[in-house]
Amino acid sequence: MTVLNVQSISKTFPAKQKQGVVHANRDIHLQIEEGQIYGLLGPNGAGKSTLINIISGILLPDQGSVTIYDKDVIHDTEAAKRLMGVVPQEIVVEMAFNVEEVLYYYAGMYGVPQQERNTLIEAALTDLDLLDKRLAKARTLSGGMKRRLMIAKAILHKPKFLILDEPTAGVDVALRQKIWALVRRMNEQGTTILFTTHYLEEAEQLCEAITLIDQGKVIKQGSLKDIQKEFAENVVAFELYDNKVEHLPNVHENATQFHFPITDLAEDMQKVIQHYGDNLKSVKSEAASLEQIFLQLTHHGN
Amino acid sequence: MTYMWALYAREVKRFQKLLIDTLLSPIIQMVLFLTVFGITLQGQDVEGIPFVTFVFAGLLMMIMVNSSFSNPTFALILGKNVGTIIDLQLAPIKPGSIGLAYALAAFSRGLLTILVAMLITVWFVPEFTISNPFLMLVALLLTGIQFGLLGVTFGMIAKNFESLTIVMGFVLQPMIFLAGIFYPIASLPAPFDLISRFNPLHHNINLFRYTTLGYADTHPMLSLAVIAGITIVMYFVVQRVTRTALRKSYS
Ligand SMILES: Nc1ncnc2c1ncn2[C@@H]1O[C@H](COP(=O)(O)OP(=O)(O)O)[C@@H](O)[C@H]1O
Ligand SMILES: [Mg+2]
Repeated sequence: MTVLNVQSISKTFPAKQKQGVVHANRDIHLQIEEGQIYGLLGPNGAGKSTLINIISGILLPDQGSVTIYDKDVIHDTEAAKRLMGVVPQEIVVEMAFNVEEVLYYYAGMYGVPQQERNTLIEAALTDLDLLDKRLAKARTLSGGMKRRLMIAKAILHKPKFLILDEPTAGVDVALRQKIWALVRRMNEQGTTILFTTHYLEEAEQLCEAITLIDQGKVIKQGSLKDIQKEFAENVVAFELYDNKVEHLPNVHENATQFHFPITDLAEDMQKVIQHYGDNLKSVKSEAASLEQIFLQLTHHGN
Repeated sequence: MTYMWALYAREVKRFQKLLIDTLLSPIIQMVLFLTVFGITLQGQDVEGIPFVTFVFAGLLMMIMVNSSFSNPTFALILGKNVGTIIDLQLAPIKPGSIGLAYALAAFSRGLLTILVAMLITVWFVPEFTISNPFLMLVALLLTGIQFGLLGVTFGMIAKNFESLTIVMGFVLQPMIFLAGIFYPIASLPAPFDLISRFNPLHHNINLFRYTTLGYADTHPMLSLAVIAGITIVMYFVVQRVTRTALRKSYS
Protein backbone atom coordinates (compact mmCIF):
# COMPACT_ATOMS: atom_id res chain seq x y z
CA MET A 1 0.00 0.00 0.00
CA THR A 2 1.43 3.36 -1.00
CA VAL A 3 1.12 5.91 1.78
CA LEU A 4 2.70 8.85 0.01
CA ASN A 5 2.93 9.48 -3.68
CA VAL A 6 4.74 12.62 -4.80
CA GLN A 7 4.66 13.24 -8.54
CA SER A 8 6.86 15.78 -10.32
CA ILE A 9 6.73 18.46 -7.67
CA SER A 10 8.36 21.77 -8.52
CA LYS A 11 8.38 24.94 -6.49
CA THR A 12 10.11 28.27 -6.98
CA PHE A 13 10.37 31.23 -4.65
CA PRO A 14 11.26 34.77 -5.61
CA ALA A 15 14.96 35.23 -4.88
CA LYS A 16 15.66 37.40 -1.85
CA GLN A 17 18.15 40.02 -3.09
CA LYS A 18 18.64 39.68 -6.79
CA GLN A 19 16.06 39.22 -9.47
CA GLY A 20 14.96 35.78 -10.60
CA VAL A 21 13.84 32.77 -8.64
CA VAL A 22 15.09 30.09 -6.27
CA HIS A 23 14.30 26.58 -7.46
CA ALA A 24 13.51 25.05 -4.08
CA ASN A 25 12.11 21.81 -5.59
CA ARG A 26 12.69 20.56 -9.14
CA ASP A 27 10.60 17.75 -10.52
CA ILE A 28 10.66 15.59 -7.39
CA HIS A 29 9.15 12.08 -7.43
CA LEU A 30 8.84 10.08 -4.25
CA GLN A 31 6.85 7.07 -3.01
CA ILE A 32 6.61 5.74 0.51
CA GLU A 33 5.10 2.34 1.28
CA GLU A 34 3.13 1.51 4.39
CA GLY A 35 5.30 0.63 7.39
CA GLN A 36 8.48 2.31 6.17
CA ILE A 37 10.75 4.71 7.97
CA TYR A 38 11.79 7.00 5.19
CA GLY A 39 14.53 9.61 5.24
CA LEU A 40 14.55 12.77 3.16
CA LEU A 41 18.14 13.91 3.28
CA GLY A 42 20.12 16.84 2.08
CA PRO A 43 22.18 19.80 3.24
CA ASN A 44 20.67 23.03 4.52
CA GLY A 45 18.77 24.81 1.80
CA ALA A 46 18.38 21.65 -0.31
CA GLY A 47 14.60 22.02 -0.37
CA LYS A 48 13.56 19.48 2.26
CA SER A 49 11.24 21.73 4.22
CA THR A 50 9.70 23.06 1.04
CA LEU A 51 8.79 19.52 0.02
CA ILE A 52 7.55 18.67 3.52
CA ASN A 53 5.35 21.78 3.50
CA ILE A 54 3.89 20.83 0.15
CA ILE A 55 3.22 17.29 1.37
CA SER A 56 1.60 18.67 4.54
CA GLY A 57 -0.79 20.75 2.47
CA ILE A 58 0.42 24.12 3.73
CA LEU A 59 2.22 25.23 0.59
CA LEU A 60 1.02 25.00 -3.00
CA PRO A 61 3.53 23.62 -5.51
CA ASP A 62 3.99 25.28 -8.90
CA GLN A 63 3.29 21.92 -10.47
CA GLY A 64 2.91 18.27 -9.60
CA SER A 65 0.67 16.26 -7.30
CA VAL A 66 0.77 14.72 -3.85
CA THR A 67 -1.50 12.00 -2.53
CA ILE A 68 -1.68 10.48 0.94
CA TYR A 69 -3.44 7.10 0.83
CA ASP A 70 -5.05 8.22 -2.43
CA LYS A 71 -6.30 11.48 -0.93
CA ASP A 72 -5.16 14.42 -3.02
CA VAL A 73 -3.41 16.92 -0.78
CA ILE A 74 -4.12 19.84 -3.07
CA HIS A 75 -7.76 19.21 -3.93
CA ASP A 76 -8.95 17.11 -1.00
CA THR A 77 -6.81 18.86 1.59
CA GLU A 78 -8.75 18.19 4.78
CA ALA A 79 -9.20 14.47 4.08
CA ALA A 80 -5.46 14.13 3.45
CA LYS A 81 -4.50 16.20 6.50
CA ARG A 82 -6.59 13.98 8.77
CA LEU A 83 -4.27 11.07 7.97
CA MET A 84 -1.08 12.92 8.83
CA GLY A 85 0.68 14.18 11.90
CA VAL A 86 3.26 16.84 11.17
CA VAL A 87 6.11 18.17 13.32
CA PRO A 88 7.28 21.34 11.58
CA GLN A 89 10.89 22.43 11.63
CA GLU A 90 10.35 25.72 13.45
CA ILE A 91 9.52 25.54 17.13
CA VAL A 92 6.53 27.75 17.88
CA VAL A 93 4.36 27.80 20.98
CA GLU A 94 1.14 29.41 22.06
CA MET A 95 1.76 32.32 24.38
CA ALA A 96 -1.46 32.06 26.35
CA PHE A 97 -1.96 28.36 26.99
CA ASN A 98 -0.50 25.70 29.21
CA VAL A 99 0.72 22.36 27.84
CA GLU A 100 -2.54 20.56 28.51
CA GLU A 101 -4.63 23.27 26.89
CA VAL A 102 -2.41 23.32 23.81
CA LEU A 103 -2.91 19.59 23.37
CA TYR A 104 -6.60 19.63 24.25
CA TYR A 105 -7.59 22.14 21.60
CA TYR A 106 -5.19 20.78 19.01
CA ALA A 107 -6.66 17.29 19.38
CA GLY A 108 -10.08 18.81 18.85
CA MET A 109 -8.86 20.54 15.71
CA TYR A 110 -8.01 17.05 14.43
CA GLY A 111 -11.52 15.87 15.20
CA VAL A 112 -10.76 13.94 18.39
CA PRO A 113 -13.99 13.90 20.46
CA GLN A 114 -13.85 15.64 23.84
CA GLN A 115 -14.27 12.50 25.93
CA GLU A 116 -11.26 10.82 24.29
CA ARG A 117 -8.88 13.71 24.55
CA ASN A 118 -7.70 13.33 28.14
CA THR A 119 -6.62 9.72 27.65
CA LEU A 120 -4.73 10.60 24.50
CA ILE A 121 -3.10 13.64 26.08
CA GLU A 122 -1.96 11.50 29.00
CA ALA A 123 -0.48 8.92 26.62
CA ALA A 124 1.33 11.50 24.49
CA LEU A 125 2.72 13.31 27.53
CA THR A 126 3.94 10.01 28.97
CA ASP A 127 5.57 9.09 25.66
CA LEU A 128 7.43 12.38 25.61
CA ASP A 129 8.24 12.65 29.29
CA LEU A 130 6.21 15.79 29.78
CA LEU A 131 3.63 14.63 32.32
CA ASP A 132 4.98 16.86 35.06
CA LYS A 133 4.78 19.88 32.75
CA ARG A 134 1.10 19.38 32.10
CA LEU A 135 0.05 22.63 33.73
CA ALA A 136 3.12 24.68 32.82
CA LYS A 137 2.69 27.54 30.37
CA ALA A 138 3.96 26.30 27.03
CA ARG A 139 6.13 29.37 26.51
CA THR A 140 8.04 28.74 29.75
CA LEU A 141 9.30 25.32 28.60
CA SER A 142 12.93 24.78 27.60
CA GLY A 143 13.81 24.39 23.93
CA GLY A 144 13.96 20.62 24.13
CA MET A 145 10.63 20.45 25.93
CA LYS A 146 9.02 22.68 23.34
CA ARG A 147 10.28 20.31 20.65
CA ARG A 148 8.73 17.41 22.56
CA LEU A 149 5.48 19.31 22.89
CA MET A 150 5.42 19.79 19.12
CA ILE A 151 5.91 16.05 18.68
CA ALA A 152 3.17 15.34 21.22
CA LYS A 153 0.80 17.54 19.20
CA ALA A 154 1.57 15.62 16.04
CA ILE A 155 0.97 12.14 17.49
CA LEU A 156 -2.11 12.94 19.58
CA HIS A 157 -4.67 11.88 17.02
CA LYS A 158 -2.78 8.67 16.22
CA PRO A 159 -1.95 9.49 12.61
CA LYS A 160 -1.17 6.68 10.18
CA PHE A 161 1.54 8.80 8.63
CA LEU A 162 3.92 10.87 10.75
CA ILE A 163 6.14 13.57 9.26
CA LEU A 164 9.03 15.08 11.21
CA ASP A 165 11.01 17.97 9.74
CA GLU A 166 14.48 18.05 11.34
CA PRO A 167 13.24 16.70 14.67
CA THR A 168 16.76 16.51 16.08
CA ALA A 169 18.17 19.86 14.94
CA GLY A 170 19.61 21.63 17.95
CA VAL A 171 18.65 18.82 20.30
CA ASP A 172 21.00 17.19 22.84
CA VAL A 173 22.12 13.58 22.52
CA ALA A 174 19.83 12.18 25.21
CA LEU A 175 16.74 13.74 23.69
CA ARG A 176 17.78 12.61 20.21
CA GLN A 177 17.88 9.02 21.38
CA LYS A 178 14.48 9.46 22.98
CA ILE A 179 12.99 10.88 19.84
CA TRP A 180 14.35 8.06 17.69
CA ALA A 181 13.17 5.45 20.19
CA LEU A 182 9.70 6.93 19.97
CA VAL A 183 9.82 6.97 16.18
CA ARG A 184 10.84 3.30 16.13
CA ARG A 185 8.12 2.38 18.61
CA MET A 186 5.45 4.16 16.60
CA ASN A 187 6.72 2.52 13.45
CA GLU A 188 6.46 -0.91 15.09
CA GLN A 189 2.87 -0.07 15.98
CA GLY A 190 2.15 0.55 12.32
CA THR A 191 2.85 4.24 11.73
CA THR A 192 4.63 5.10 8.51
CA ILE A 193 7.34 7.71 9.09
CA LEU A 194 8.88 10.38 6.92
CA PHE A 195 11.59 12.54 8.43
CA THR A 196 14.20 14.96 7.20
CA THR A 197 17.64 15.51 8.56
CA HIS A 198 20.96 16.85 7.50
CA TYR A 199 22.70 14.47 9.92
CA LEU A 200 23.31 11.54 7.64
CA GLU A 201 24.38 9.13 10.42
CA GLU A 202 20.89 9.35 11.84
CA ALA A 203 19.37 8.20 8.61
CA GLU A 204 21.85 5.34 8.38
CA GLN A 205 20.65 4.00 11.70
CA LEU A 206 16.94 4.40 11.14
CA CYS A 207 15.80 4.25 7.56
CA GLU A 208 15.02 1.53 5.13
CA ALA A 209 14.79 3.92 2.25
CA ILE A 210 15.98 7.39 1.49
CA THR A 211 15.85 10.23 -0.97
CA LEU A 212 18.88 12.46 -1.20
CA ILE A 213 18.20 15.93 -2.51
CA ASP A 214 20.51 18.77 -3.31
CA GLN A 215 19.66 22.16 -4.76
CA GLY A 216 16.04 21.06 -5.10
CA LYS A 217 16.83 17.96 -7.16
CA VAL A 218 16.71 14.27 -6.30
CA ILE A 219 20.25 12.97 -6.64
CA LYS A 220 19.77 9.47 -5.26
CA GLN A 221 16.78 7.47 -4.22
CA GLY A 222 16.03 3.94 -3.10
CA SER A 223 16.63 1.42 -0.36
CA LEU A 224 19.53 2.31 1.88
CA LYS A 225 21.04 -1.17 1.49
CA ASP A 226 21.06 -0.95 -2.30
CA ILE A 227 22.61 2.46 -2.27
CA GLN A 228 25.30 1.39 0.17
CA LYS A 229 25.96 -1.73 -1.92
CA GLU A 230 26.34 0.39 -4.99
CA PHE A 231 28.92 2.45 -3.19
CA ALA A 232 30.64 -0.44 -1.40
CA GLU A 233 34.45 -0.49 -1.67
CA ASN A 234 34.15 3.05 -2.67
CA VAL A 235 36.77 4.89 -0.71
CA VAL A 236 40.39 4.47 0.14
CA ALA A 237 40.48 4.93 3.90
CA PHE A 238 43.87 5.77 5.34
CA GLU A 239 45.52 7.07 8.51
CA LEU A 240 48.57 9.30 8.62
CA TYR A 241 51.34 9.93 11.14
CA ASP A 242 51.39 13.60 10.32
CA ASN A 243 48.00 15.07 9.36
CA LYS A 244 49.30 18.50 8.37
CA VAL A 245 50.38 17.76 4.84
CA GLU A 246 49.40 18.71 1.34
CA HIS A 247 46.42 16.45 0.49
CA LEU A 248 45.26 14.97 -2.77
CA PRO A 249 42.22 16.72 -4.22
CA ASN A 250 38.86 15.27 -3.00
CA VAL A 251 40.30 13.91 0.22
CA HIS A 252 37.90 14.24 3.14
CA GLU A 253 38.85 14.12 6.76
CA ASN A 254 36.74 11.75 8.85
CA ALA A 255 37.69 11.69 12.55
CA THR A 256 41.18 10.09 12.57
CA GLN A 257 40.87 8.78 9.04
CA PHE A 258 40.98 10.28 5.58
CA HIS A 259 38.87 9.14 2.66
CA PHE A 260 39.66 9.32 -1.01
CA PRO A 261 36.90 8.39 -3.46
CA ILE A 262 37.65 5.46 -5.74
CA THR A 263 37.05 5.35 -9.47
CA ASP A 264 39.48 2.53 -10.10
CA LEU A 265 40.51 0.50 -7.03
CA ALA A 266 44.08 -0.47 -8.00
CA GLU A 267 44.92 2.84 -9.60
CA ASP A 268 43.53 5.00 -6.79
CA MET A 269 45.15 2.86 -4.10
CA GLN A 270 48.45 3.34 -5.90
CA LYS A 271 47.84 7.06 -6.12
CA VAL A 272 47.34 7.37 -2.37
CA ILE A 273 50.40 5.26 -1.53
CA GLN A 274 52.57 7.26 -3.90
CA HIS A 275 51.37 10.60 -2.63
CA TYR A 276 51.68 9.98 1.13
CA GLY A 277 54.56 7.48 1.10
CA ASP A 278 56.16 6.94 4.51
CA ASN A 279 53.60 9.12 6.22
CA LEU A 280 50.94 6.35 5.83
CA LYS A 281 50.04 4.55 9.05
CA SER A 282 47.40 2.32 7.43
CA VAL A 283 45.48 2.08 4.18
CA LYS A 284 42.50 0.03 3.00
CA SER A 285 39.42 0.22 0.79
CA GLU A 286 36.06 0.63 2.54
CA ALA A 287 32.30 0.83 2.03
CA ALA A 288 31.27 4.43 1.85
CA SER A 289 29.09 5.87 4.58
CA LEU A 290 26.03 7.84 3.59
CA GLU A 291 28.02 10.97 4.29
CA GLN A 292 30.73 10.02 1.81
CA ILE A 293 28.17 8.90 -0.75
CA PHE A 294 26.54 12.23 -0.41
CA LEU A 295 29.79 14.14 -0.76
CA GLN A 296 30.68 12.18 -3.86
CA LEU A 297 27.30 12.62 -5.46
CA THR A 298 27.17 16.34 -4.88
CA HIS A 299 30.75 16.62 -6.04
CA HIS A 300 29.98 14.81 -9.30
CA GLY A 301 27.01 17.09 -9.75
CA ASN A 302 29.23 20.14 -9.93
CA MET B 1 -18.27 19.80 13.80
CA THR B 2 -15.79 18.81 16.50
CA TYR B 3 -13.14 20.57 14.44
CA MET B 4 -14.94 23.90 14.43
CA TRP B 5 -16.08 23.82 18.05
CA ALA B 6 -12.59 22.96 19.25
CA LEU B 7 -11.24 26.02 17.49
CA TYR B 8 -14.15 28.09 18.80
CA ALA B 9 -13.46 26.88 22.34
CA ARG B 10 -9.77 27.69 21.93
CA GLU B 11 -10.48 31.24 20.83
CA VAL B 12 -13.00 31.79 23.61
CA LYS B 13 -10.44 30.51 26.10
CA ARG B 14 -7.94 32.97 24.67
CA PHE B 15 -10.05 36.03 25.41
CA GLN B 16 -11.18 34.64 28.76
CA LYS B 17 -7.55 34.67 29.84
CA LEU B 18 -7.49 38.39 29.17
CA LEU B 19 -10.95 39.05 30.46
CA ILE B 20 -10.25 42.30 32.25
CA ASP B 21 -8.43 43.80 29.25
CA THR B 22 -11.25 42.58 27.03
CA LEU B 23 -13.93 44.26 29.05
CA LEU B 24 -12.30 47.30 30.48
CA SER B 25 -11.62 49.49 27.49
CA PRO B 26 -15.04 49.31 25.78
CA ILE B 27 -16.76 49.83 29.10
CA ILE B 28 -14.68 52.86 29.99
CA GLN B 29 -15.42 54.28 26.55
CA MET B 30 -19.12 53.66 27.14
CA VAL B 31 -19.12 55.38 30.51
CA LEU B 32 -17.29 58.39 29.05
CA PHE B 33 -19.70 58.79 26.18
CA LEU B 34 -22.73 58.46 28.44
CA THR B 35 -21.37 60.96 30.93
CA VAL B 36 -20.59 63.53 28.27
CA PHE B 37 -23.87 63.14 26.41
CA GLY B 38 -25.88 62.77 29.59
CA ILE B 39 -24.63 66.09 30.90
CA THR B 40 -24.45 68.13 27.71
CA LEU B 41 -27.64 67.00 26.07
CA GLN B 42 -29.89 66.68 29.07
CA GLY B 43 -33.54 67.20 28.24
CA GLN B 44 -33.15 66.75 24.49
CA ASP B 45 -34.84 63.91 22.71
CA VAL B 46 -35.31 62.11 19.40
CA GLU B 47 -38.99 61.55 18.73
CA GLY B 48 -39.73 61.19 22.42
CA ILE B 49 -36.68 59.06 23.19
CA PRO B 50 -34.21 60.75 25.53
CA PHE B 51 -31.06 61.55 23.57
CA VAL B 52 -28.78 59.63 25.92
CA THR B 53 -30.91 56.54 25.47
CA PHE B 54 -30.85 56.93 21.71
CA VAL B 55 -27.05 57.10 21.76
CA PHE B 56 -26.79 54.26 24.29
CA ALA B 57 -28.37 51.76 21.88
CA GLY B 58 -25.96 52.83 19.15
CA LEU B 59 -22.98 52.50 21.47
CA LEU B 60 -23.94 48.95 22.43
CA MET B 61 -23.94 47.97 18.78
CA MET B 62 -20.64 49.77 18.31
CA ILE B 63 -19.12 47.52 20.98
CA MET B 64 -20.30 44.45 19.08
CA VAL B 65 -18.90 45.73 15.78
CA ASN B 66 -15.55 46.74 17.21
CA SER B 67 -14.93 43.68 19.26
CA SER B 68 -16.08 41.16 16.68
CA PHE B 69 -13.88 42.76 14.04
CA SER B 70 -10.78 43.22 16.14
CA ASN B 71 -10.81 39.91 18.04
CA PRO B 72 -10.09 37.57 15.10
CA THR B 73 -7.90 40.13 13.31
CA PHE B 74 -5.73 40.55 16.35
CA ALA B 75 -5.48 36.80 17.01
CA LEU B 76 -4.55 36.02 13.40
CA ILE B 77 -1.95 38.75 13.00
CA LEU B 78 -0.40 37.70 16.29
CA GLY B 79 -0.42 34.09 15.09
CA LYS B 80 1.45 35.06 11.95
CA ASN B 81 4.04 37.01 13.88
CA VAL B 82 4.61 34.33 16.51
CA GLY B 83 4.27 31.48 14.01
CA THR B 84 1.37 29.70 15.71
CA ILE B 85 -0.66 30.17 12.53
CA ILE B 86 0.96 26.86 11.57
CA ASP B 87 -1.67 25.11 13.72
CA LEU B 88 -4.41 26.44 11.44
CA GLN B 89 -2.37 25.53 8.38
CA LEU B 90 -1.77 21.94 9.43
CA ALA B 91 -5.07 20.98 11.05
CA PRO B 92 -7.78 19.44 8.86
CA ILE B 93 -10.33 22.21 9.40
CA LYS B 94 -12.24 23.54 6.43
CA PRO B 95 -11.69 27.25 5.76
CA GLY B 96 -15.40 27.95 6.25
CA SER B 97 -15.24 26.34 9.68
CA ILE B 98 -12.17 28.36 10.59
CA GLY B 99 -14.02 31.52 9.61
CA LEU B 100 -17.13 30.59 11.57
CA ALA B 101 -15.20 29.44 14.63
CA TYR B 102 -13.36 32.75 14.86
CA ALA B 103 -16.51 34.73 14.06
CA LEU B 104 -18.56 32.94 16.72
CA ALA B 105 -15.80 33.43 19.27
CA ALA B 106 -15.76 37.09 18.32
CA PHE B 107 -19.52 37.26 18.75
CA SER B 108 -19.24 35.61 22.16
CA ARG B 109 -16.71 38.18 23.25
CA GLY B 110 -18.87 41.01 21.93
CA LEU B 111 -21.97 39.66 23.64
CA LEU B 112 -20.19 39.27 26.96
CA THR B 113 -18.84 42.81 26.71
CA ILE B 114 -22.24 44.20 25.85
CA LEU B 115 -23.94 42.39 28.71
CA VAL B 116 -21.40 43.62 31.24
CA ALA B 117 -21.48 47.13 29.80
CA MET B 118 -25.28 47.12 29.98
CA LEU B 119 -25.34 45.84 33.54
CA ILE B 120 -23.01 48.58 34.67
CA THR B 121 -24.50 51.51 32.78
CA VAL B 122 -28.15 50.81 32.05
CA TRP B 123 -29.17 52.22 35.46
CA PHE B 124 -28.12 55.68 34.36
CA VAL B 125 -29.98 55.51 31.07
CA PRO B 126 -33.59 56.70 31.29
CA GLU B 127 -36.36 54.78 29.56
CA PHE B 128 -34.16 52.08 28.01
CA THR B 129 -36.32 49.18 26.88
CA ILE B 130 -35.89 45.99 24.92
CA SER B 131 -38.93 45.82 22.74
CA ASN B 132 -38.07 42.59 20.92
CA PRO B 133 -35.47 40.50 22.81
CA PHE B 134 -35.48 37.67 20.29
CA LEU B 135 -34.87 39.92 17.31
CA MET B 136 -32.28 41.79 19.35
CA LEU B 137 -30.31 38.58 19.84
CA VAL B 138 -30.62 37.82 16.14
CA ALA B 139 -29.31 41.29 15.31
CA LEU B 140 -26.38 40.85 17.68
CA LEU B 141 -25.57 37.32 16.46
CA LEU B 142 -25.68 38.32 12.80
CA THR B 143 -23.64 41.45 13.41
CA GLY B 144 -21.09 39.47 15.41
CA ILE B 145 -20.71 36.90 12.65
CA GLN B 146 -20.73 39.54 9.92
CA PHE B 147 -17.92 41.58 11.42
CA GLY B 148 -16.22 38.49 12.78
CA LEU B 149 -15.96 37.10 9.25
CA LEU B 150 -14.79 40.49 8.04
CA GLY B 151 -12.16 40.45 10.80
CA VAL B 152 -11.02 36.95 9.81
CA THR B 153 -10.75 38.03 6.18
CA PHE B 154 -8.73 41.06 7.12
CA GLY B 155 -6.60 39.11 9.60
CA MET B 156 -5.75 36.56 6.94
CA ILE B 157 -4.62 39.25 4.50
CA ALA B 158 -2.93 41.71 6.87
CA LYS B 159 0.72 41.27 7.67
CA ASN B 160 1.18 43.45 10.72
CA PHE B 161 -0.53 45.37 13.46
CA GLU B 162 -0.02 48.71 11.73
CA SER B 163 -2.49 47.72 9.06
CA LEU B 164 -5.00 46.80 11.76
CA THR B 165 -4.58 50.21 13.39
CA ILE B 166 -5.02 51.90 10.03
CA VAL B 167 -8.19 50.02 9.15
CA MET B 168 -9.70 50.48 12.59
CA GLY B 169 -8.83 54.18 12.69
CA PHE B 170 -9.40 55.26 9.12
CA VAL B 171 -12.15 52.95 7.93
CA LEU B 172 -14.10 51.27 10.69
CA GLN B 173 -14.30 54.13 13.21
CA PRO B 174 -15.43 56.76 10.65
CA MET B 175 -18.01 54.34 9.30
CA ILE B 176 -19.28 53.65 12.79
CA PHE B 177 -19.55 57.32 13.63
CA LEU B 178 -21.30 58.15 10.36
CA ALA B 179 -23.73 55.28 10.72
CA GLY B 180 -26.12 57.21 12.93
CA ILE B 181 -25.01 56.41 16.44
CA PHE B 182 -25.31 59.99 17.61
CA TYR B 183 -28.12 61.30 15.43
CA PRO B 184 -31.08 60.03 13.46
CA ILE B 185 -30.15 59.64 9.80
CA ALA B 186 -33.53 61.03 8.81
CA SER B 187 -32.57 64.39 10.28
CA LEU B 188 -29.69 64.80 7.83
CA PRO B 189 -30.16 67.08 4.81
CA ALA B 190 -30.28 65.45 1.36
CA PRO B 191 -28.22 63.77 -0.04
CA PHE B 192 -26.48 62.80 3.22
CA ASP B 193 -29.46 60.89 4.56
CA LEU B 194 -29.48 58.72 1.44
CA ILE B 195 -25.71 58.28 1.42
CA SER B 196 -25.79 57.21 5.04
CA ARG B 197 -28.13 54.39 4.17
CA PHE B 198 -25.42 52.96 1.92
CA ASN B 199 -23.13 52.74 4.93
CA PRO B 200 -23.59 49.07 5.84
CA LEU B 201 -23.07 49.87 9.51
CA HIS B 202 -26.15 52.05 9.52
CA HIS B 203 -28.22 48.88 9.19
CA ASN B 204 -26.66 47.18 12.18
CA ILE B 205 -27.30 50.18 14.37
CA ASN B 206 -30.73 50.80 12.92
CA LEU B 207 -31.88 47.21 13.47
CA PHE B 208 -30.49 47.10 16.98
CA ARG B 209 -32.18 50.37 17.91
CA TYR B 210 -35.42 49.06 16.51
CA THR B 211 -35.24 45.84 18.53
CA THR B 212 -34.54 47.78 21.71
CA LEU B 213 -36.14 51.23 21.56
CA GLY B 214 -38.59 50.46 18.78
CA TYR B 215 -37.17 53.37 16.75
CA ALA B 216 -35.93 52.95 13.18
CA ASP B 217 -34.64 55.36 10.50
CA THR B 218 -34.86 52.72 7.81
CA HIS B 219 -37.29 49.83 7.61
CA PRO B 220 -35.90 47.24 10.05
CA MET B 221 -36.57 44.34 7.69
CA LEU B 222 -34.51 46.05 4.99
CA SER B 223 -31.70 46.39 7.52
CA LEU B 224 -32.05 42.73 8.51
CA ALA B 225 -31.87 41.72 4.83
CA VAL B 226 -28.77 43.86 4.24
CA ILE B 227 -27.00 42.38 7.28
CA ALA B 228 -27.94 38.82 6.37
CA GLY B 229 -26.89 39.41 2.77
CA ILE B 230 -23.48 40.78 3.71
CA THR B 231 -22.97 37.94 6.19
CA ILE B 232 -23.65 35.32 3.54
CA VAL B 233 -21.34 37.02 1.05
CA MET B 234 -18.65 37.28 3.74
CA TYR B 235 -18.98 33.58 4.45
CA PHE B 236 -17.96 32.83 0.87
CA VAL B 237 -15.26 35.49 0.79
CA VAL B 238 -13.73 34.18 4.02
CA GLN B 239 -13.46 30.67 2.60
CA ARG B 240 -11.52 31.80 -0.44
CA VAL B 241 -9.25 34.17 1.41
CA THR B 242 -8.55 31.69 4.20
CA ARG B 243 -7.75 28.84 1.83
CA THR B 244 -5.31 31.00 -0.09
CA ALA B 245 -3.74 32.67 2.93
CA LEU B 246 -3.11 29.45 4.85
CA ARG B 247 -1.27 27.90 1.93
CA LYS B 248 1.27 30.66 1.88
CA SER B 249 4.56 30.14 3.58
CA TYR B 250 5.12 32.61 6.41
CA SER B 251 8.80 31.87 6.92
N1 LIG C 1 9.22 31.31 1.87
C1 LIG C 1 10.34 31.36 1.14
N2 LIG C 1 10.63 32.43 0.40
C2 LIG C 1 11.76 32.49 -0.34
N3 LIG C 1 12.66 31.50 -0.41
C3 LIG C 1 12.43 30.40 0.30
C4 LIG C 1 11.27 30.25 1.12
N4 LIG C 1 11.31 29.04 1.71
C5 LIG C 1 12.44 28.45 1.28
N5 LIG C 1 13.13 29.25 0.44
C6 LIG C 1 14.40 28.93 -0.25
O1 LIG C 1 14.25 27.65 -0.85
C7 LIG C 1 15.41 26.88 -0.68
C8 LIG C 1 15.08 25.60 0.04
O2 LIG C 1 14.75 25.87 1.38
P1 LIG C 1 14.25 24.76 2.40
O3 LIG C 1 13.19 23.96 1.76
O4 LIG C 1 13.90 25.44 3.67
O5 LIG C 1 15.57 23.87 2.58
P2 LIG C 1 15.95 22.81 3.70
O6 LIG C 1 14.74 22.53 4.51
O7 LIG C 1 16.42 21.63 2.94
O8 LIG C 1 17.03 23.42 4.52
C9 LIG C 1 16.40 27.76 0.07
O9 LIG C 1 17.24 28.37 -0.88
C10 LIG C 1 15.54 28.79 0.73
O10 LIG C 1 16.22 30.00 0.88
MG1 LIG D 1 14.43 22.67 6.51
